[in-house]
Amino acid sequence: MTTSSQRVRPNGGRAEDRAVERIVRRTFGTLTGRSGEPLLYAVMDDTPVGVLGLALGAAGLRRLTFVKDEDDFLARLLAELPDTPVLRSAKLDTVRRALDRYFAGRGFRFRTPVDLSEVTPFQQRVLHATAKVPAGKVSTYTAVATEAGRPHAARAAGNALHRNPVAIIVPCHRVLRGDGSLGGYGGGLKVKEWLLRLEGAIL
Amino acid sequence: MSARRPATEDRIALLLAKHGAELVRHIRRIVRDDHVTEDLLQDTLLRTHGALGRLPPGSNVRAWLYRIATNAALNHVRSRARELAALRRYAREADGATSAAGRLTTDGDVHAALWARVATLPERQRVALTLRIADELDYARIARRMGGTEAAARANVHQATKRLKRELR
Repeated sequence: MTTSSQRVRPNGGRAEDRAVERIVRRTFGTLTGRSGEPLLYAVMDDTPVGVLGLALGAAGLRRLTFVKDEDDFLARLLAELPDTPVLRSAKLDTVRRALDRYFAGRGFRFRTPVDLSEVTPFQQRVLHATAKVPAGKVSTYTAVATEAGRPHAARAAGNALHRNPVAIIVPCHRVLRGDGSLGGYGGGLKVKEWLLRLEGAIL
Repeated sequence: MSARRPATEDRIALLLAKHGAELVRHIRRIVRDDHVTEDLLQDTLLRTHGALGRLPPGSNVRAWLYRIATNAALNHVRSRARELAALRRYAREADGATSAAGRLTTDGDVHAALWARVATLPERQRVALTLRIADELDYARIARRMGGTEAAARANVHQATKRLKRELR
């Protein structure tokens, strides 16, 4: 995985970054009517699980998604968040490095704060329950539904996991069916199996 | 996705999201003013968007954006340099004093004058030289951005430098 090709420039630095962000933000407002808090994004092109789209807001990571390519990811972001300016940023390099370590099997914990405010309160509780399942272990749809306060809502829990905006970091791949079969996965079942193998949950 | 073509705003938003930040850095290095940079960025996006339909499929939209932004920035600097030269002439004629002209010759003026000469170079030389000295790109990156070979990029920068040296002598 190559990291960003951004170089330190003689007149670079934070002052330049701030000015650049301000100008792009104002231009978004003028030309497209998008005037909300900006969302920063990055794309990881060649991970072992394919292309990943990442998006970071003021309150934390808002997307970690399996995408076809950069344009596909951007088109989705722009459609899902019609008032939000979106811009490519090197500020996501920290998360990218954490993911590189994860894929190399050198660290399964993430310190990145996540922003789950786009899903319902029940879905948030399911995702929080899922976040407690450690790497190397698995849980079930019924178990996370119970932990979220609705023991009979296994199917709704499955929907919540399907709507997980930050895959891998909220490890919805660790949640399986009660009979031990894999269930479903947004990135495809092959990816789910690969992740569980990487973490040593299955052999 | 739906069959509906994305609205103009969405297409501009896509260009801005992908290339806005790098274009701002590029324009800002040449014009050195945030308000001017904002105006030129907006110009560049609107012009590129207007041309998108006419570009042959598979065109390098990023190279196109850079070309328009570079020209807009150099034109701005050139007209600013002309303004300053007129001011200096006026100052000389008005009181015949060298001090007034001297006061106007700041670093910014020298910078503007140099870029004004760059602006008179043939297009490919001008763009190659700008990418080399304002963006500090290596020849491989210049070639990728302009769509050509590394040798051509090197030759363009070389020709441009030779010509500037001759003119500044």
